[in-house]
Amino acid sequence: MQTVRITVNGTQYEEAVPPRMLLVDFLRERLALTGTHVGCTYEGVCGACTVHLDGEAVKSCMLLAVQADGHAVTTVEGLSSNGDLSVLQQSFREHHGLQCGFCTPGILMNMTDFLARHPEPSDDDIRHGLIGNLCRCTGYVHIVKAVREAAKTLAGGAG
Amino acid sequence: MFPAQIEEYVRPTTVAEALAVNARYDEGDALFIAGGQSLMQALKSRMARPRCLIDLQAIDALKGIEYSDGVRIGAMTRYVDIAADERLRGRNAALRDAAAHVGDRQVRNRGTIGGSCCWNYLASCTPAVVLGLGGRMHLVAADGTRRVVPATEFLIGPLETARRADELLEAVSFAGATDRGGSAYRKWGLVKDALPVVGVCVCVELDAAGRCSAASIALSGLAAGAQLAPAGAALLVGSSGDATTLARAMDAVAAAVEAQSDKWASTAYRQQLIRTLGADVAATAFARATA
Ligand SMILES: Cc1cc2nc3c(=O)[nH]c(=O)nc-3n(C[C@H](O)[C@H](O)[C@H](O)COP(=O)(O)OP(=O)(O)OC[C@H]3O[C@@H](n4cnc5c(N)ncnc54)[C@H](O)[C@@H]3O)c2cc1C
Repeated sequence: MQTVRITVNGTQYEEAVPPRMLLVDFLRERLALTGTHVGCTYEGVCGACTVHLDGEAVKSCMLLAVQADGHAVTTVEGLSSNGDLSVLQQSFREHHGLQCGFCTPGILMNMTDFLARHPEPSDDDIRHGLIGNLCRCTGYVHIVKAVREAAKTLAGGAG
Repeated sequence: MFPAQIEEYVRPTTVAEALAVNARYDEGDALFIAGGQSLMQALKSRMARPRCLIDLQAIDALKGIEYSDGVRIGAMTRYVDIAADERLRGRNAALRDAAAHVGDRQVRNRGTIGGSCCWNYLASCTPAVVLGLGGRMHLVAADGTRRVVPATEFLIGPLETARRADELLEAVSFAGATDRGGSAYRKWGLVKDALPVVGVCVCVELDAAGRCSAASIALSGLAAGAQLAPAGAALLVGSSGDATTLARAMDAVAAAVEAQSDKWASTAYRQQLIRTLGADVAATAFARATA
């Protein structure tokens, strides 16, 4: 067992964990933050477990909880504030960017990081940015639209 | 899936400390973890069962790209940082081509040049590019001994390198930008940015008259691992990169390689990929050399 201090969605947690515990299992099983999903049973290809590590999108099944010791993690539960959805979440809702919703948390986390780095993305940029997230319902058309509209809203809000 | 029991996890802040922990264990019982984008799969499938993991994330000396006479890329430099560094141009531009299309954003936010070279997976981009650009591997051992090994000797074959168990890879270095050097890399995989079924890297140096004075071609995705294709490269030398020469050179590469046939692609299809991608990559390398 090793004691880790990990800040998740702004709250610091101190927990004793076995070194082999995956970050995704720490989030889901220790902290009961089950918004982070496990899709591909840990091969690291589906992207449903994507979270932010110090603000950057990473797959939480490809990290051990001990590696996140001393770092800040944001999960999908941390995107809204006081019950208000983020601009990207609101856009997914308005533009039907999800069907079954299983892949959605990972997509929201990846695309939140993406929009921070690419404030004016083309559709090609968005599609390229989405490679690390598999969606088996939507065919991605509405997801691309939701991201594009969110980028416009964010640009409008800033300018 | 989750890893087998791990007894110890350490996060040293210096190379010396990392090597000292490694030296406490028998060969293979302690493993360095860089981005974890290959190792975590091996741990979860239990192909690797180390007793100790030595996390390199906090060793700042292993991070970043230095430009002096040449270019030195710290082993812990991530794909996302390589892809974004516009100073990697001309003869080193292929590094950015490869890094920008490894896997996906999340993988590029973690995966490192050092981890990719030390893993040396056959379907991977970085080892072939490092070979094509004449990279040199900077290794340091627990007793402080340093040695520099050319990539041609370091990259032995799939999942095999010349790194000894008591050594850590500190950096990979390349020749600096030249007036008339150019390189490029492109791959083909089953979906965009996937592991390469075939990838081609071309690096050329031109003389003042615009003729090729030195060339190398390296391939990824072949069963024998990242490899150079010297016969094809020799055909580029002396040319100005005209389409006929490029096609002839890539025909020679395709004819000389041993391309496997598997569920992803037949031998003939791999050879065709080498011709098609190769001609395009070579044209880009020549164009960058004259830009
Ligand atoms: C979904 C997905 C898609 C991918 N797509 C591609 C792709 O398109 N192209 C491609 O090339 N790769 C791809 N990869 C693999 C990726 O490139 C890995 O990042 C890379 O192979 C390993 O680098 P790492 O930093 O993650 O190393 P790790 O996985 O942490 O380590 C790999 C090995 O190297 C050793 N090691 C690491 N650093 C050092 C060091 N400094 N000194 C000594 N030993 C060291 C470790 O002990 C381990 O054995 C993909 C991976 C995933 C999960």
